[in-house]
Amino acid sequence: MIREMRIADYGMRISFCLTVIFTGVGSLFAQDLIPAPGPARPVAIPAVREAKLKNGLTVAVVEKRSVPIVTVQLLVRSGAVAESIKKAGLANITADMLTKGTKTRTAEQIAEEMEFLGASINSGAGWNSSSVTMSVTSDKLDQAMAIMADVVLNPSFKQEELDLLKSQTLDELKANLAQPAFLANYVASVRAFREHPAGGTTASVEAIGRADVVEFHKAAYAPEQSVIIFAGDISSSQANALAARYFDGWTSGGPASTKFAAVTDKLGGSKNIASRILVVDLPGSGQASVNFYRAVGSGRSAKEYYTASVLNSLLGGGYSSRLNQEIRIKRGLSYGAGSSFGWRSGTTNFSTRTQTKNQSAAEVAELVIAELRRLAESDATETDLNPRRLVLTGGFGRNLETTGGLTGALADLYSFGIPAGELNNYMRSVSTVSPTNVKDFASKFLHDGEIIIVGDYSVFKDDLAKRFPNMKIDVIKVDELNIESPTLRKSDIQ
Amino acid sequence: MRKIFLTLLITACTAAAALAQVKVAPLDIKERVLANGMKIVSVQDNSSPTVSIHVWYDVGGKNDPPGRSGFAHLFEHLMFKATARMPNEKMDRLTEDVGGFNNASTWPDFTNYYEVVPSNHLEPLLWAESERMVNLSVDEANFQSERKVVQEEYRTSVLDPPYGRLFWYLDDVTFQKHPYRRGVIGDLDQLQAATRADAEKFYKEYYRPDNAVLTVVGDFDQKQFDAWVDKYFGSIKKPAGAIARVTEVEPEWTTERRFEKFAPIVPFPAAAIVYRAPRTTSKDIPALRLAASIMSGGESSRLYQALVRTQQIAQEADLDLELNTEGGRMTLLGIGAEKGTSQNLEAALLAELKKIQDGGVTAKELEKAKNQLVSRAIRARETNDGKAIAIERAVAYQGDPKAVNNEVAALQAVTAADIQRVMKQYFKDNNRVVIHYSQEKKAEGEK
Repeated sequence: MIREMRIADYGMRISFCLTVIFTGVGSLFAQDLIPAPGPARPVAIPAVREAKLKNGLTVAVVEKRSVPIVTVQLLVRSGAVAESIKKAGLANITADMLTKGTKTRTAEQIAEEMEFLGASINSGAGWNSSSVTMSVTSDKLDQAMAIMADVVLNPSFKQEELDLLKSQTLDELKANLAQPAFLANYVASVRAFREHPAGGTTASVEAIGRADVVEFHKAAYAPEQSVIIFAGDISSSQANALAARYFDGWTSGGPASTKFAAVTDKLGGSKNIASRILVVDLPGSGQASVNFYRAVGSGRSAKEYYTASVLNSLLGGGYSSRLNQEIRIKRGLSYGAGSSFGWRSGTTNFSTRTQTKNQSAAEVAELVIAELRRLAESDATETDLNPRRLVLTGGFGRNLETTGGLTGALADLYSFGIPAGELNNYMRSVSTVSPTNVKDFASKFLHDGEIIIVGDYSVFKDDLAKRFPNMKIDVIKVDELNIESPTLRKSDIQ
Repeated sequence: MRKIFLTLLITACTAAAALAQVKVAPLDIKERVLANGMKIVSVQDNSSPTVSIHVWYDVGGKNDPPGRSGFAHLFEHLMFKATARMPNEKMDRLTEDVGGFNNASTWPDFTNYYEVVPSNHLEPLLWAESERMVNLSVDEANFQSERKVVQEEYRTSVLDPPYGRLFWYLDDVTFQKHPYRRGVIGDLDQLQAATRADAEKFYKEYYRPDNAVLTVVGDFDQKQFDAWVDKYFGSIKKPAGAIARVTEVEPEWTTERRFEKFAPIVPFPAAAIVYRAPRTTSKDIPALRLAASIMSGGESSRLYQALVRTQQIAQEADLDLELNTEGGRMTLLGIGAEKGTSQNLEAALLAELKKIQDGGVTAKELEKAKNQLVSRAIRARETNDGKAIAIERAVAYQGDPKAVNNEVAALQAVTAADIQRVMKQYFKDNNRVVIHYSQEKKAEGEK
C-alpha cells in the first residue's frame, strides 16, 4: 500500500506538478522555522562517446563505474508505426520472438544460459522503435553479449514458438481488456489517435503468420538504422571492441522501411475542450476510468517538446500536479490522476487519466475539462512553474544515476534520430519554458478532444446526461466492441 | 501489484555484496542510538549530489486496532497533512518542488516514509521528519478526505484488477488468529468506521522516537549530519510507557483448508496453495529464497517451463514468498491460460512441488539461483535510495542494519540438501490452504 501509485506513462516519463493553494499560506506558517537549504551541488551529465561500425551500426557508450553492472540496449528505429492495423502487434511479436530460439540455441537454452549468468534480457517494441535490453554484472559481459548478438542476428522464428507466443499474447490481451484503464487506451488508439493498439487486437494477432515476422525482421532490423548503447562498468574502447566482435558481420537485410505516422492533427476544430464523449459500458467494473484524449500535431523533435513537458508537469505529471490536486487531494475522488504525451516523430498523443468510483465518473470528467480550460485561458505564474520545472530536471538527473536510466534516456533520443548531445541541453531547455509558452501550447492544441469513460454505465448514466446536456454521448457495450470497425461496433445495426 | 512489489523488495534485500569475480565492498554503515531510544543509521557516499532519507516505524497492518482493518495504512496517508508548524502537504513542497520526491508505504510489519532530494536539502527534511514525528495535527476535513482517497485505492487495487480480489482473499482466509489475517488495505466498511479519535490514539501509541529508525544514505558530511540529528531528533523526549505489541500467536496449521472464491470479471481461473513461512530471522530463509528462484525465477525456472511452456495451462506460475517477522506466507500461484482450470493448475503446481521434494535440485540450478539473487542485489545498489531500502529491510527483518552485509555469504552457504530439506519441512499436505478463484456464474438466461 503506497501513498502514490507511480503510473508508467506512454514513454516513461515520471511526472509531477504544483498547486497555488499554499503559496500564500506557507509564509504564515513555518517558513522561518524550517532551516534553509545549503548551496546546491550541480548534477553532472555523463559524457556519451559515439562510434560507428563499417556496416553503419552506431555504438554509444557511457562509462559509469560505481557498481559492477553493465546495461546494453540494441535499438532499432522501427516499431509499431511500421505495421498495419490488420497485423497490429507484429513489431512486438517479432521482438518477443527474438529470444525464442536461434539457429544454434533453443528458447530454453537462451533463458537457461542468460539466467545462469544472473543476467536479464528483455525484448519488445513500442510505437517508434524495437529493442533488446540486457543487463549483467561486468565480469560476465562477454558471455552475455554473445547470446544477445545471437538473438538479434540469427533468430529462427520456429512455427511452434510463434504459436505459443500468439496464444500467450491473446490470453494476456483478454486479461488486459477486463481492466477499464487498458480498455480506454485501447479504444482511444483508434478513436482519438487514428492509429491502432501497438500490442494488437484479437483478430490482428491471430492473423500474424511466420512469413510476416520474417519479413518484418528483415526490413526493420538493419545496422544502419540501429544503435547499440552501453552504460555502466565499461570503457568506450572495451565497448567498441565488443560491438565490433559481435555485430561487424551484421548486414542489412533489405531496404530500410521506416515509416512515420501521418500528422493527424486537425487544427481549427471546435474550441470546446471536449467535443464528444464515448462510454464503453463494462458492467461489474469496480471503478470507472475517465480519460481525455487529443492528437497533437507537434512531434518529438520540435522545440515544443520542452513546452509540452513543462505543461504536463504542471497539469498531470506527478503528485502535486493540478489534476491530482483537484481530483485526489482536494476532493478524495481518486487514488491518483495524471496526464502524459506519447511522442511520435511528427505528432504526439496527449491523454489524461484517472480512476474513480462509478458514481463520480461524470463529476471527474467535468474537473478534467475545467483544468484543461484553465491551462488555455489563464496564465500560470512563475511561482506555479518553477517547482514543476524542478520536478522535471530533478527526475532527469536521478534517472541518469542508473545504467538502465542512462540507456533509456539515450534510447529515447536515438529512436527519433536526435543527437545524444541533447542530453546536455535538457536542464536549460526546461528552465527556459515560460508561462506564455505553456498557455499558447494549450490554447493551440488542447481542445476539440474526446472524453472516453470505461465503467459501469448504469451507475453514472443519469449524472453524465445531466452534467453534459449538450454533448454527444456515444455508448458501446463492451461485448459489442470491435475496434476494427469504423463504428467501433460488431454490428452496425443497433 | 502489491504482491509483486513485496516479493521483489524482499528478494532484493537478501543479498548484498559479492559473488565469484564481482566484488562489491560492504556498505560502510554508521549506527547510533539517541538517548530517547531512536536509532540512526547512515552511509556517507558523495558520488552523486542526492540523499535518500528513510524514517521507519515499527508499526504496520498487523497493528490495526480491532474493527479497524486498514487503519495503519490510512494513518500513513494522514502523515502528509498539517502539523503544528507545517500546512497540509508541506512535505511535497520540501521534496517535489525542489526536484526530489517522497512516498511512504505500509507493510504487514512496518511503515516507512522516505524522500530523495538534492543533497543540499537534507537539513530541512530532517527538520520536517522530526516535526511530523511529534506535532501532527489531524483535522476532521483532512481525515474524511484521505479516507475517501484510501477507499479509492482499495477499488483501484482490489476491485479493478481481475486478480485483485484473489490477493485480498489470500489475506482473508489463510491466517486464523494472527492479525496478518487482515490485509493491509483493509475493507471499505471498517475504513468507514474509523474516526479521528482513533488516529490520535494510534499516533500517540506508535509514532515515537523509540519506535523509529532513521536511515540516511548519500551526499552529506558525517559530522554535520550527526549535529543535525542531535538538534532535530535528540531534542524529542522519550514518552513514558511501553509500546503495545501484537500478542496473538498463529496456531500451527494442521489440516488442509479449501476455499472457492469468485469475482465479477475473471478472464481465466486461478489457483493458490498457501503454506506458512518461518520468521524472517529463521536460518532457513536463504534456502527458501533460493528455492523460490529455482521454482519461478525467470523463464528457465521449473514452474515456467512446466505450466507455461510445456503444459500451456498458465499465463503465470510462481512460488511467491511474503516473508513477515512473525512468519508469513509462501504461495504456489497459477494464473490460468486458455487451457487452465483451477483444478489442473493445482495439480500441476503440486506435481512440481513433489518433484523438488523427492528429487531435490541440481548443482547447476543452485548456482544459477545464487547468481540471479546476487546480481539483483548489486543492481539494487545503483542508487542511494536502493542502498537505503536494503538497509531498512535488514532493520525490519533481521533487527540489524549491518545484516545487509552478511546476506550474500548466507546465500552462498546454502547446499542442494538444504533446499530439499526446507521444501519437505515447510510444504506439507496437511498445512496448506487451497483457493480456487474464477468468474461468478451468471444466472440462467442472463447475458
